[in-house]
Amino acid sequence: MEKYEKLEKVGEGTYGKVYKAREKASGSLVALKKTRLEMDEEGVPPTALREVSLLQLLSQSIYIVRLLSVEHVDKVPKSQKSSSNPLTKPILYLVFEYLDTDLKKFIDSHRKGPNPRPLPPPLIQSFLFQLCKGVAHCHSHGVLHRDLKPQNLLLDQHKGILKIADLGLGRAFTVPLKSYTHEIVTLWYRAPEVLLGSTHYSTGVDIWSVGCIFAEMVRRQALFPGDSEFQQLIHIFKMLGTPTEENWPGVTSLRDWHVYPRWEPQSLAKNVPSLGPDGVDLLSKMLKYNPSERISAKAALDHPYFDSLDKSQF
Amino acid sequence: MAPSFDFASSLLCTEDSAVFDESHNNGGTMMSMMGVYEDTWSPRKRHFDEEPDELPLLSDESLAMMVEKECQHWPGLRCLNKLQTGDLDFGARMEAVDWILKVRSHFGYCSRSSLVIQNYLDRFLCAYELPKGRVWTMQLLAVACLSLAAKLDETEVPLSLDLQVGESKFLFEAKTIQRMELLVLSTLKWRMQAITPFTFLDYFLCKINDDQSPLRSSIMRSIQLISSTARGIDFLEFKPSEIAAAVAMYVMGETQTVDTGKATSFLIQHVEKERLLKCVKMIQELSCNSGSAKDSSASVTCLPQSPIGVLDALCFSYKSDDTNAGSSVNSSHNSPVAKRRKLNKTCGADLL
Repeated sequence: MEKYEKLEKVGEGTYGKVYKAREKASGSLVALKKTRLEMDEEGVPPTALREVSLLQLLSQSIYIVRLLSVEHVDKVPKSQKSSSNPLTKPILYLVFEYLDTDLKKFIDSHRKGPNPRPLPPPLIQSFLFQLCKGVAHCHSHGVLHRDLKPQNLLLDQHKGILKIADLGLGRAFTVPLKSYTHEIVTLWYRAPEVLLGSTHYSTGVDIWSVGCIFAEMVRRQALFPGDSEFQQLIHIFKMLGTPTEENWPGVTSLRDWHVYPRWEPQSLAKNVPSLGPDGVDLLSKMLKYNPSERISAKAALDHPYFDSLDKSQF
Repeated sequence: MAPSFDFASSLLCTEDSAVFDESHNNGGTMMSMMGVYEDTWSPRKRHFDEEPDELPLLSDESLAMMVEKECQHWPGLRCLNKLQTGDLDFGARMEAVDWILKVRSHFGYCSRSSLVIQNYLDRFLCAYELPKGRVWTMQLLAVACLSLAAKLDETEVPLSLDLQVGESKFLFEAKTIQRMELLVLSTLKWRMQAITPFTFLDYFLCKINDDQSPLRSSIMRSIQLISSTARGIDFLEFKPSEIAAAVAMYVMGETQTVDTGKATSFLIQHVEKERLLKCVKMIQELSCNSGSAKDSSASVTCLPQSPIGVLDALCFSYKSDDTNAGSSVNSSHNSPVAKRRKLNKTCGADLL
C-alpha cells in the first residue's frame, strides 16, 4: 500500500470503508475499498470473495467498474510499532478506478439544493442505455448483480459515463434447481418475486431494479419507497394492481403470499408524467409481475425508447 | 454463522434425494423416525413443492465466451501429467478429494460445489509447490478450498471448526485457514468463478432436445454422471465443455428421445469430435460400472454423522416423495436387471 496516498474517505461499500486515493507513480486517482480480515472471524468475507471473483469474470465491459488490483497487507497498530513481535492486523484492499459520484448523489443534486431541475431526457436515455449494457454483460456471463440501486451506479459526470459497481451481493447462476438467499436487493428496488419468498429467482430481479431506477431518474424520487417488506409489496400492488393467477401464474403459491386487498392498476404514465410513450412502454415491460415476461436487458437495448439515442458513442 | 434448523433445509439440493431414496428403500429404520418428525416437516411442504423458475439458458454467444474462458479455469493436462508422473502426490490428492465429498455430503451441498472445490485444489496444485513431507498441508489446502467454495456459492457458510467434520487427522485454527485461503486466492488470481461441466450442461441438454426443456430426470442423471467423473483423474484430460457435451449426449441417447447423429452434428460445433466421442465412450464405461460403485458410495454418503446429518437424511427422504427423480430412481431400483440390460444395449448400439 506504499504505492497509494489516501486522500479522503468517500463512503461505505457492502462490507467496508471506501477511500479516494492517488497512485503515487502515475498520479492517477483510485478508489480503495478496505476489508479487515479479523483473526477471530472466519477468514476472507464471502462478499469480498464474490465481488473480486465476479469482477475477474466480468472485466471486459466498460460498463462495470474496473478492479485494478487486490492488495493484502498486514498492518501494525501504532501502539505496537516499538514491539519486537507485533500482532498484525490483516487487511484487504480492493483497488478500483475512481469515479467522482454516484447516481443517487446526482439525482439528489437535481432534486434539492440551490438549483432543482429535472434530469435532461437525453441524459436519462444515455444512463439507462449504459445501465442496460452493463446488466446485459453480467447476465450473458451468468451473473446476477442482485443489489442494483442508484448508490451502486458510479458516474463520471463530465464524460457522461455510468458504471455498475458493488458486486458484493452478486452471484453466478449456472445450475438449474438451485435456490438462492432470500434477503437480497435493497428493499426499494427488490422484485416482487423476492419479496414473496421465491428463492428460485433469476435475471428478472435485476431488470425490476433497473425499472425502478429508470423511474427514479425521471421522477427524481423513488418509485416504491417501502420501509418494510410488507409495505414494499403494498406500494407495488397499489400502483400496479394486486397480482393474480391470470397475470402471474403461480403467484399465490409463493411462500410468503397472503390474501391482499384487490387494488386495480393505476396508470403508470401518471407516475412518470414527463416520460414519453416509448419510455412508459419500456418501463412497463421492466415492471411486469411475471418474471418470465419481463424484458431482458439485451432486448431493452433494442427498444424504440433508445431510437433517438446516438448509439455510436457506446 | 453457526448451523441452525433452517441451515439444514436451506442447503438441500434436489439431486441428493436420489441417493437417499435408494438407502431409504433398503431399510425400515427411517420409517419410524419419519413418524416422529412428520409434523415438523408438514408446514414446510409448500417450500419443497415450489417449482424452480425457468432459468435462462446461456445464449449462443455466451456459450462461445464460456468455452473460450474455461481454459483459464481448467487444470487440464498439466495437472494430469503431474499426477501420473508422481510429481503430485496422487494418494494425498485422492484422500483430500474423498474428504471433500464426505463433507459436501454432510452439509448437503450441491454436486456442483464439489466440482468447484476440486477445481480450486487441482489448479492450486499445478501452480504452487506445497512443501513435501508435511502431510498436513494437503488437508489444510482441502479445508481452505472447501471454505472458499462454500463462501462463494452457498447460502449459509459453516464456522471453520464445523467445516472440519469427518475423519480429519488435523484440526486447524481459523487464522491458519485464513492464511491458506489468501494463498489460494492469490495463486489462482482470485478467479474463483470456476467453470465446470454444470456451466454448459443445461444448454447442451436443451439444444439436443430440440430447444425444449429436458426432463428433470435427465438433469438428475446428468448431475450424477458429472459428479462421478470427478473422483478419479481419468477425466482431467477433458475440458468442462467436453464432459458436459458427452454427458448430455449419453443421457439423451439413453432415453432414446433424440437422434444421436443429429446430436453429434450439433455438439461438434462447440467441441472437437474425436474428443467428444472418446469422452462419451468413457462415460459409458463409467455408467456401466456404476452399479457396484454407486452402492458403496451410497452407503458412505448416507450415514448420518451427527444430528445435522440426521436432519439432512430426513429432509432428503421427505423431499424425494415430491420429485420426479424419486420415482425415476424407484423404477431403476425395482428392476435392476432390466436396467442393466438396457444399459448394455445402449452401450452396444453406440459402439456401432
